[in-house]
Amino acid sequence: MKHPKYILFATFDNFTKARDVVMELKVLDLREKIIDDIDLFSPIEHPDVEEMLGEIHQPIQRFTFFGAVTGALCSFLLVAAAAQSMFTVQPQGGKAVIPLPTDIVIAYEGTILFGVLCTLGAFLAYAGLPRRLSKHYNEKVSDDQIGIEVTTAKENIGAIKDVLNKFEPLEIREITQ
Amino acid sequence: MGLRRMLENWSDLRKRDYYENEPYMWGMAIDLDKCTGCGACVTACYVENNLPVVGKEKFASGYAMHWMRIEHYWTEPDDSPEIGQKEPSDHPERGAHFIPMMCQQCNHAPCEPVCPVAATYHTPDGLNAQVYNRCVGSRYCGNNCPFKVRYFNFFDFWKDLPEPLEQQLNPDLSVRSKGIMEKCTFCVQRIRAGKDHAEDEGHPHSVEDGTIVTACQQTCPTQAIVFGNLKDKSSRVHQLWADHQVKLNRHEQDKPEDVRGYRVFEELNVEPSVMYMDRVRDTEI
Amino acid sequence: MKDIEWSRINKDVLESLQSPRPLFWVVIAICVLVVLVGVGAEKYQYDNGLGVALMNRPHYWQLYISNFVFWIGMSHSGTLLSAILLLTKADWRKPIYRFAEAMTLFSILTAALFPIIHLGRIWDLYWVMPYPNERTIWPNFRSPLLWDAAAITTYATSSALFLYVGMIPDMAICRDNATGWRKPLYTALSLGWMGRAREWMAFRKTYVIVACFLVPLAVSVHSIVASDFAMSIVPDWHITSFPPYFVAGALYSGCAAIITLFVMLRYLFRFEAYMTEEIMEKIAKLTFAIALVWNFLNLGEYVSIWYSNDMFEKEVLIQKFIGPYAPVVWGMLICAMIAPFAMAFQKVRRSMWGMFWLSIVLQLGMWLERFQIVSPPLASNHEPWTWSVVWPGTIQLTITAASFAWFTMLFLLFCKVFPSISMYEVKEMAFHRRREGLHDEVENIHDIQEEIIKTERGLT
Repeated sequence: MKHPKYILFATFDNFTKARDVVMELKVLDLREKIIDDIDLFSPIEHPDVEEMLGEIHQPIQRFTFFGAVTGALCSFLLVAAAAQSMFTVQPQGGKAVIPLPTDIVIAYEGTILFGVLCTLGAFLAYAGLPRRLSKHYNEKVSDDQIGIEVTTAKENIGAIKDVLNKFEPLEIREITQ
Repeated sequence: MGLRRMLENWSDLRKRDYYENEPYMWGMAIDLDKCTGCGACVTACYVENNLPVVGKEKFASGYAMHWMRIEHYWTEPDDSPEIGQKEPSDHPERGAHFIPMMCQQCNHAPCEPVCPVAATYHTPDGLNAQVYNRCVGSRYCGNNCPFKVRYFNFFDFWKDLPEPLEQQLNPDLSVRSKGIMEKCTFCVQRIRAGKDHAEDEGHPHSVEDGTIVTACQQTCPTQAIVFGNLKDKSSRVHQLWADHQVKLNRHEQDKPEDVRGYRVFEELNVEPSVMYMDRVRDTEI
Repeated sequence: MKDIEWSRINKDVLESLQSPRPLFWVVIAICVLVVLVGVGAEKYQYDNGLGVALMNRPHYWQLYISNFVFWIGMSHSGTLLSAILLLTKADWRKPIYRFAEAMTLFSILTAALFPIIHLGRIWDLYWVMPYPNERTIWPNFRSPLLWDAAAITTYATSSALFLYVGMIPDMAICRDNATGWRKPLYTALSLGWMGRAREWMAFRKTYVIVACFLVPLAVSVHSIVASDFAMSIVPDWHITSFPPYFVAGALYSGCAAIITLFVMLRYLFRFEAYMTEEIMEKIAKLTFAIALVWNFLNLGEYVSIWYSNDMFEKEVLIQKFIGPYAPVVWGMLICAMIAPFAMAFQKVRRSMWGMFWLSIVLQLGMWLERFQIVSPPLASNHEPWTWSVVWPGTIQLTITAASFAWFTMLFLLFCKVFPSISMYEVKEMAFHRRREGLHDEVENIHDIQEEIIKTERGLT
């Protein structure tokens, strides 16, 4: 049987504090291995703090590459096949069977279209969207506060709360999953 | 099926002389020296091809549907140079020149590649076909035609046809609705009938010269228009082309000044299938 | 700008969704009315044939096509502002790129109407699409019109998605503050965005990748529109330099449109604190630079036609300047070629209403430019016997007016429902500027310390 997970959600009013909290929690985790997951909720993108959370593997560009290549091939083949198909009905004697300039133009557009679509698909997958809002989500995060979400087991709540409280959070929410 | 046919014929399909072995290539020769500008050909075309008569006002606004039209040009007044010349013209002013203008059935037709739905294409017998049912009316072909011989149905003209005039419509071809492009077909219905007739008689690949007559040719009182198969070495039209040293597949003819044959807008490399013979003009000596 | 508090940004922008100035409703009402009249005109044309639009032979293309080029052109600056300036990290774009992107989307949607209105048999429109059918007939991909269809589909899809993705964090803000019918709308559109670190990281990456796609796409779209003309053999359409000329013209008229909408939004939604004079000056400078590029290409086109010494092309060029369409051409030259030089003066660049009227003049010039690209070459084509002059009729003008109303209506409704200023990006801008400000102070402290040390050394 799985142990129930506890989630602590604290909000802070600036990034410097949030960064220090994350650092402190990481140090705590190194010592005692009690934290399952730390996540940062913020109203703007903030690479400095995100780096502290550790590497998040998001190879979106590979999907882009895949989409672009597929798009180029598919649209080229579509036009080439359509041109051939037309040839059986309407021979265009003396003209190229597969008109290259045309195919390049259409393949160019197809590359971009499929590239964009695949990129966005990958974005949704890696960002974990669409999803329902977490129960503990604090609406202040979309305004001007920074939220830190810590997942842990019940017995460690006290230790983590101590760290969080050290940095004067605006609010701490506790949720059992 | 299509793919197999394609692969088997690949090298043939993209050959420049793809139509080389076709038995027919319809062409025309028009002698402008014989043309009097009477307009009988235009009338014949209206009757044969169910062309709508649009009325005075619409004609004036540029909605006329004459597949064949007589263009009038006037020479420059006496003692003034002609276009492109510096010296005054030797030719005295003799009133209008006429040139019957209809679809030139270009072999490199500029209208064909621009149609988004492939409603216009080249038939193996050298015609520039227009598929009415396929046309969506983007009118790109009309712009790209240097002769401006493509006519667009701006209205449902057939609705204006008073009773019982619909009785005189030619049943061999359709009446076109609004929103589609149409143009001279070299009387394709007569060509079809002629080919069928030849097939019935047991020689499917050779139509006897002179058995297919276009409506304009039939009506021309001075016999200025000659129509026939350019591939047939014995046909009159082929003879005329040869006599006037007009050759296919070139954008500039290599011939002496005094030979009258020419093709309109040849320099655009559109390869018209119609040869005109220039009017002989008198000079004041 | 750097002093704006984050929560104030939210409050200001969200308020704009609730209470625009009363003039907003007046404009919307007028637009709806004009669109309805336009729909009536289209119905009349649909029923009676295209002849009622007063096109004729050889004027097979006229105002519908020039409007199409105009609207496609207008869409380009949105991409310029959002994608190119994003990649070059020009942060002044942040308060204005959202509405520029919306402008892109709606002008494509307006442009896409015109080929349809223009078509002879609208009811057979779907034949242009490549779909397998029992007759094994496919569209003719050699036609530039098909390239157009491909390019517009790609452009409309990509820019709509780019606009939407860029809006997701703002949708979350709206969701957290909305009530009533807006709540479920924003909840659905925000996809459950919570601003988690992985969301932001994926977002940042995606945004840059899509921007990289959009730049070559925008260039290709207007090049392809230009090849509708350049691929034909009509004299003065068949010009090699048309694609870059069209792209420059597109950016030019689009920038002018951005200025118009900038002033309009600033007034209607009370965005004075965000859409500042500094930003206006920067757009004006950009517009001026593009205007000069366009001027160069326009003159280059004349020169190359003149020295080609082609009989037909030269004739069309001469007819442009002295022929029946000369007023249009001279009007274009005055409005689009000479008027932009007003932007050389800082006073003009910084005056809101001055720039508003100037941008209208520039757009008029570019609209006339599209008309003079389409009509005069048809009026004096290869075949002198068919030369004729036709001016667009009432139906064409009504539908043109309706297209402007349609665009304005869509655009203003968008601004009413969605935040037209990107809240999160303005926050970022404020955040970074504030931090830079702090950095400056810190550096000053270092300087002072060094001074002190130096003085101490000097003393000892």
